[in-house]
Amino acid sequence: MALELPNFALLAPQIVIALAALVLMTAGAFARERWRQWNYVVAQLAVIVATLLTVFTSGDPRVQTTFGGIFLVDWITLVVQLFIYLSVFAALIYGRFYLIERGLERAEYYALVLLSLLGMQILTVANHLLLFYLGLELMSLALYALVAFDRNHALRAEAGMKYFVLGALASGLILYGLSLIYGATATLSLPEISSVAALRPGDERVFGFGLAFLVAGIAFKFGAVPFHMWVADVYHGAPTPVTLLLASAPKLAAFALAFRLLVFGFFEYAHYWQPMLMVVAVASIVLGNLAAIAQKNLKRMLAYSGISHVGFILLGLAVGVVEGNHQLALNAYSATLFYAIVYAVMSLASFGLILLMARSGFEAEWLDDVKGLNQKSPWFAAMLLITMFSLAGVPFFVGFFAKLAVLQAVVAAGYLWVAVLAVVMSLIGAFYYLRVVKLAYFDEPTERQPLIASSETRVLLSGNALALALFGLMPQGLMSLAAYAMIASL
Amino acid sequence: MLTLVIVLPLLLGTAACAWAGARLGRRATAALAAAVAALALGALLTQAAPIWAGGAVAEAAQWVPSLGLNWQLRADALSLFFATLILAIGLLVITYASYYLGPTDPPGKFYATLMLFMAAMLGIVLADNLLLLVVFWELTSLASFLLVGYWSEQSPARRGARQALIVTGVGGVVLAAGALLLGEIGGTHQISALVAHGKAIQNHPLFPWALVMVLFGALTKSAQFPFHFWLPDAMAAPTPVSAYLHSATMVKAGLFLLLRLHPLFAGSALFETVALPVGLATLTLGAVVAIFKHDLKGLLAYSTISHLGLIMTMIGLGTVEGVVVAVLHIFNHALFKAALFMSAGIVDHETGSRDLRHVNGMMRYLPWSGLFAIIAAAAMAGIPFFNGFLSKELFFTATLTAPHPLVPILATVAAAASVAYSFRFIHDTFFNGEPGPLPNPHPHEPAWGMRAPVALLAFLCLLFGVMPWLAEPLITRVAAAAAGAPVPELHLALWHHPGLHVAMSAVALAGGGIAYALLMTNRFLHRLDIDRLFGRRAGRWLFAALVARMVRTAAWITRRTETGSLTMIVALVWVSALALVHFTVPWPQTASTPAAPQPTFSTLLVAFPLWLLVAFSAGALLFWHAHRTVAVLLTGVIGLVSAVAFALLSAPDLAMTQIAVEVVSTVMLFLALSFLPKRTPAIPFQRRLVHAAIAVAAGVTVGVLAWWLLVTPRESISWYFLAEALPGGGGRNVVNVILVDFRGYDTFGEITVLGVAALGAWALFFGTSRAQHCTRQTSQWLEPHPHLLRVATTVMLPAALLLSVYLFLRGHNQPGGGFIAGLVTAAALLLVSLAHGFAAANQWVRAQDGWRFARTVGAGIAIAAATGAAAWAFGRPFLTSAHGHPQLPLLGELPLASAALFDLGVYVTVVGATLLLLTPLAAARRNDRETKENGR
Repeated sequence: MALELPNFALLAPQIVIALAALVLMTAGAFARERWRQWNYVVAQLAVIVATLLTVFTSGDPRVQTTFGGIFLVDWITLVVQLFIYLSVFAALIYGRFYLIERGLERAEYYALVLLSLLGMQILTVANHLLLFYLGLELMSLALYALVAFDRNHALRAEAGMKYFVLGALASGLILYGLSLIYGATATLSLPEISSVAALRPGDERVFGFGLAFLVAGIAFKFGAVPFHMWVADVYHGAPTPVTLLLASAPKLAAFALAFRLLVFGFFEYAHYWQPMLMVVAVASIVLGNLAAIAQKNLKRMLAYSGISHVGFILLGLAVGVVEGNHQLALNAYSATLFYAIVYAVMSLASFGLILLMARSGFEAEWLDDVKGLNQKSPWFAAMLLITMFSLAGVPFFVGFFAKLAVLQAVVAAGYLWVAVLAVVMSLIGAFYYLRVVKLAYFDEPTERQPLIASSETRVLLSGNALALALFGLMPQGLMSLAAYAMIASL
Repeated sequence: MLTLVIVLPLLLGTAACAWAGARLGRRATAALAAAVAALALGALLTQAAPIWAGGAVAEAAQWVPSLGLNWQLRADALSLFFATLILAIGLLVITYASYYLGPTDPPGKFYATLMLFMAAMLGIVLADNLLLLVVFWELTSLASFLLVGYWSEQSPARRGARQALIVTGVGGVVLAAGALLLGEIGGTHQISALVAHGKAIQNHPLFPWALVMVLFGALTKSAQFPFHFWLPDAMAAPTPVSAYLHSATMVKAGLFLLLRLHPLFAGSALFETVALPVGLATLTLGAVVAIFKHDLKGLLAYSTISHLGLIMTMIGLGTVEGVVVAVLHIFNHALFKAALFMSAGIVDHETGSRDLRHVNGMMRYLPWSGLFAIIAAAAMAGIPFFNGFLSKELFFTATLTAPHPLVPILATVAAAASVAYSFRFIHDTFFNGEPGPLPNPHPHEPAWGMRAPVALLAFLCLLFGVMPWLAEPLITRVAAAAAGAPVPELHLALWHHPGLHVAMSAVALAGGGIAYALLMTNRFLHRLDIDRLFGRRAGRWLFAALVARMVRTAAWITRRTETGSLTMIVALVWVSALALVHFTVPWPQTASTPAAPQPTFSTLLVAFPLWLLVAFSAGALLFWHAHRTVAVLLTGVIGLVSAVAFALLSAPDLAMTQIAVEVVSTVMLFLALSFLPKRTPAIPFQRRLVHAAIAVAAGVTVGVLAWWLLVTPRESISWYFLAEALPGGGGRNVVNVILVDFRGYDTFGEITVLGVAALGAWALFFGTSRAQHCTRQTSQWLEPHPHLLRVATTVMLPAALLLSVYLFLRGHNQPGGGFIAGLVTAAALLLVSLAHGFAAANQWVRAQDGWRFARTVGAGIAIAAATGAAAWAFGRPFLTSAHGHPQLPLLGELPLASAALFDLGVYVTVVGATLLLLTPLAAARRNDRETKENGR
């Protein structure tokens, strides 16, 4: 029997990344030492080519499928993937100097980054439960290895180990949930599940249980409370370039995963997952902000701050479920997408600042290390100020609009107390962000070594932070993009 | 044009001042700032004519339409009044500051921030979009933070700045939430539209929430009790900043907001029950505390608090008359309080001290400044012929209409206190004997540039005091714009008809004068330390305690949750997942559970003992799990029982596979365990109980789910494979056909994974330098190669190999196949290794530390791949199988399928992978022996 060839062109970006990862892996095993600098070039080229291919292969028609409908490319894919590429591109630039200084810049590093990127890409194009699982595992496995990449360092190895054990547990939960869902619906295809008319009462319960395990797993991958226990240890333990990667692109991928599964696939069962997400979101916002105050380590603080931001993303997903009001749902989801993108960009800048200050033997990961940055470099102190203000949600910075958009959706959906709680907690959050600014501006530096970061890092970081300010003044473009992606895809 | 009014200071002003500050010096920077402010004022006044006629000017542009946040500006009389006040007093402050600032103070920083603040304030008063207003609101908090903390090297300045930022910032965020809610209720964020629907919005069930949140924002910004404490602490700011922010503009923003939204709130019982008492409390408290303050600016700060309370009381009345008085007093207060702050600044500037106990008798040194201060203070005290008198009279009249008699009484008390502190301000500073020890012992009048703004303000105080009707048209229009309704005709005159309010004024004047005289007897007041008397100031103390509490809570939470223990995290993940499952998904009703199929007697006969065996093994595992050998054996039992179950359920292939896998894995586990301690370390009983509870909960959940799924009748897909196996795959063993044909891709993937896993384990062991190290402390509790076993294996090896060949060949039609055959071969070779020792066995098969098996794995995968690829040669997709039944001489019909070749690949891979996995164990054992022998 002759098979019709599926449309490979649609998956060209994924194929490019996969090939590049394989090339780098082979290079890691066989290539000569003096070719080492090309690893970085190959990885960056692959990301750039994938970006271009994504732009040119998707978008028209708005929704395309291939391989018998198990892959789906739409505007959400386009937007989420573009920002994932951007994050990875930035992560590679930010991290390079750090890795070279510590003798860690090896082909395997780039291969792993690209493999995790491939996993994230798959999460954005998957339309089939198994593919989601595969994408998730590909992303996670590569990240486990990256966390423990500096394996002779005890803290790093411990973080990698913890991440792996817990991540495997979460994957187990997800897989179990998926199998229960399959048991109840007898299909793994997302469109088929969403079109299953009515389940028998017993099956619906099974479905609900499966959904609960799935949400638990998704919450873990997001790092939401109470599945957050790995976040601080892993963020702290991982080499900073890896933390930077962990805190940015995977959050976008997790958004794609949660959005596709819950909203695209299981919207009919929102009465199960909405309260789950709500609880997880509120718990994340509360605990994330409170625990961040007590941190003395900048990476840990940012980890907890990330937990609270993830709470906002989940909150947006949860409140999109409104009976019969399409417009409110659309607003909530585009606000959530906007938040996820903004958070990723803010993460890049905040960890980029740590990398800027770090040098061999000095990780710059403690709050005290920020002291007196203004005296060393007024310019980057200003960048720090922009980033922290944006994270705190101060008006005229993009973080403010992200919070505002989500809160507006929350209020519109009628969850007033949640909005109040979120506001109060953001205020507490502002406390620790502003403390960082205070340290940088008002305190005397503890050591007086000048910044030695590479010029690429300097330029990129400046652009990154200024983008936060610029999008704060003109958020409408990005917001419209998010809204358009939702309209075009839903 | 309105946009221009804001943008001029926001962009041009800040940029020009920041640029000029470092290059042109203080005067030039001030001139630039003044020019920008004057330009903005001019731009504003071009719009004045239609507004004066009772209209409004509006401008709109899109900013973030999807959030409802747009650049909507609108100027009516109220906005125009405030904007003019901001710009005009701003001009005076700019002039004043250029003389006030010292040579070492960076002027660029000061004026740029001042411009930013001015723009933000203008934004607040001109915004016609609630969210836009909030944005500017937060911007004023930010600018005030920078201005208060201008002398950032001084710790009180930093503390005051931070506190002001936190209190007003928090208020701003709560206000933002209230604004969102109001927008949600009203369907728009446009203020003018919202205000027009006042009554409808008041009836909405969510309105009280919105009201409380907006009020919270306004109260914090306008330093109302109990949030008043930030204002005195913010006095660490340079005095021009205090004159501008803390008397004339920023603290009025909260009041402005309430006036702006007055039609929305007026008539709401909740609004009156909150705003009125808060206003009264602030009024009285501020006035009384102000008397006892020894710091010149502290006195003025508390007096400001008191006056803000007065205005709040008036707004809280919720009547149009109240609005009129509020507007009038805002105007008057801005004039006299700015003048007083500037006077205080002059004293501070000239003497270097602000302490009322030391700065005495200044009239001799500063006659002009003293005169202006006296005029302004008289206005503050509410003495006739000064502008404060008028608003106080009207205030008294309005309080008499209030619902509670306490209101006029407290008003009189506060007025008396205000007379007392005004007296003190003048008497202590300019008279009351000779100056004490001062940092600057030779004070003299400052430059006219510094005195002129004070003079102008004092003149206005006097002008509007003597000719109050001049203000009439202005106040009427502004109040009408705020109230959204026509105001009763206003007659501002020096002498009103006599009434109770005149008596109240008299009592306040006399009472205040007498009280001050009594307190000042023998300078008693100077010896009184109110801070020590009342302990820490309640508000600030509460604030500090709140922050400390929050930090402690955070630390506590962090300590409790950040244990870093993996066991605990895993437990938490499980508990949370189970909680999520059970709290959101209801358990099934018994009615909806499908009836379980009734077991027959014969199945019971076999199944029940098996079930018992599993239950027993599982139970025994609980007790002996710490003893690793026993645990592995018991797990093996469970595996074998499932093999029997497979056999019973007519799946002989699965049963055989299960047995083979079970045997091989048990043996390998034993081999691996022999390098580890015999027993798992014990854990405390209590923790085991917790673990048991979690395990039971998880087990029950999973068990129930499995039961559900199993008893629910559903369609099976097995008929397809049963029907298609022979015609489509050429084999009668359906399982094998599925493996090598229908699901050939999966199998190909699986053997690849198996091979890669084995290679990985092998590489990990031999690839790291630790292979030697980790086998040092092993216990040799497995006695090698007993003689009997050696003899037995010699016989068994050929038999086992033959069996595997047989299993392989019959695989396509009968139970068997490459996978099982591979495992049997591997098991046989494993047995040989055990019997003869790994070293001998490895030598015998020429394992070369596993290199040979690695090649075997590769060969297996290559065979499978080649079989699959061969299909291409016939124009078919990868792994398409072909089968035929050629008739051979002698042997008869030979069932042949290309799948068999594929199965060969499977066989080779399985054998290679299993043996490859063994090599590290073997090598470790050899190292171990060598170590021991060397030891001997």
